[in-house]
Amino acid sequence: MIGTIASNVLRALALVLVQVMVLDHVDLLNGYAVPYLYVLFLLMLPFELPAWAMLIIAAATGFTVDLFGNTPGMHMSACTVMAFARVHLLRVMAPREGYEFGARPVIADMGLTWTATHAAVLVLVHHLWLFTVELFRWDRMGEVLLRTLLSALFTLVLCMLAQLLATRTRPGRA
Amino acid sequence: MRDLFRFLHRIRDTLLFLALLALSFVLLAGGNRYHRARALTSSNAAIGTLMQWRANVADYTGLRAQNQVLAEENARWRNRHVSAYAPAEDLFVRINDTIHRRVHAQLAAKVINGTAHKQRNFLTLDKGAKAGVGPDMGVIGPHGIVGVVRAVSPHFASVISVLNPDVRTSVQLRRTGHFGLLYWDTNDPRTASVVDIAKHAHVQPGDTIETRGGDGLFPAGWPVGVVETIEPQPGGNYHDITIRLTEDMTRNGHVYVVKDLQRAERDSLQQAHTGP
Repeated sequence: MIGTIASNVLRALALVLVQVMVLDHVDLLNGYAVPYLYVLFLLMLPFELPAWAMLIIAAATGFTVDLFGNTPGMHMSACTVMAFARVHLLRVMAPREGYEFGARPVIADMGLTWTATHAAVLVLVHHLWLFTVELFRWDRMGEVLLRTLLSALFTLVLCMLAQLLATRTRPGRA
Repeated sequence: MRDLFRFLHRIRDTLLFLALLALSFVLLAGGNRYHRARALTSSNAAIGTLMQWRANVADYTGLRAQNQVLAEENARWRNRHVSAYAPAEDLFVRINDTIHRRVHAQLAAKVINGTAHKQRNFLTLDKGAKAGVGPDMGVIGPHGIVGVVRAVSPHFASVISVLNPDVRTSVQLRRTGHFGLLYWDTNDPRTASVVDIAKHAHVQPGDTIETRGGDGLFPAGWPVGVVETIEPQPGGNYHDITIRLTEDMTRNGHVYVVKDLQRAERDSLQQAHTGP
């Protein structure tokens, strides 16, 4: 329990710092692909977390990223929407006998298909909301969609790589 | 009554979601107005300090290019220096200038954080209120305009970049003097649009666009960009012009904050005639 909290706090700090110090300044394809890796922290929050805590943690994370980007409310709203989507998505994607106790939402525990689907849906929700709110103009939705797709792809690849490289497989688990 | 409470209890997570979303929209709406969100912007001291650390490291990657820019600028000023000129005629000419007044002052600052590829871009400078920087001062670079100061803290200033559709700068054609507004809707950090230039103005590709001055932000005649394409606007009275910005907004290290020394006088005059 304490270990889970400590590792999540550390992960939050590391990912948000990497985001605001490095990734926010990356612009591939003329700025159409910007990775928002910090959402990996929200994707890896434990299954047992109650919905209210999930929502508040997500809002606080988004708020912190906003502080650095001069964009009050933008990431906060995107993260809140993503957390709400995750609460429902976890219910939909639950295995028939429920989540195994102690399982983490990572490739090592849940398999590649489950983790990738879970991440793809939520990253798309987050990015679509983020870019729509950022521009806030309906007449340029095509551009927003293009940004969403390219950036989401970038974020997803980074998320999967980060998981593969940084999570340990627990002994005694298939 | 008990059913109502039971219902509220059942949808408590949705209610919390809606409350957080509403809160973020309140922040979002406040942030676009100028000074409201001062405490929330990156001129905030703690975040400014963190960004300063980042800049201290990241600066090294741009030193070569930065030196080049500064050297070019030095060369330009050297060309203007008295020592570069000899009198055209063999006479002693003394100009004791009592009819020129200083109209603006400039302060060198460094960009420590900023974006150019977002849909609304901002910069943070390493000079703030203690150096005399205040809101609504223009920021220029060696080759063109950069943005407008939006909020300041004692040691940092937050700047709205010209790559932000919320900034519209008064500009004019250097050749003919026709004026219009610079407006960034191209979503490309290298170009911008100039709107509201009347159709009877003869604009040609290659024309220089410069600041108009008089808005209290930028000195008059500072370069902004070069006309690239001119689209006829069907049925409209104005040209649709795309320009190439002369300042490389994806890489501005050193910039100058411009303080208009006559601003208070002009503002009070204009207010007296248009005010309530």
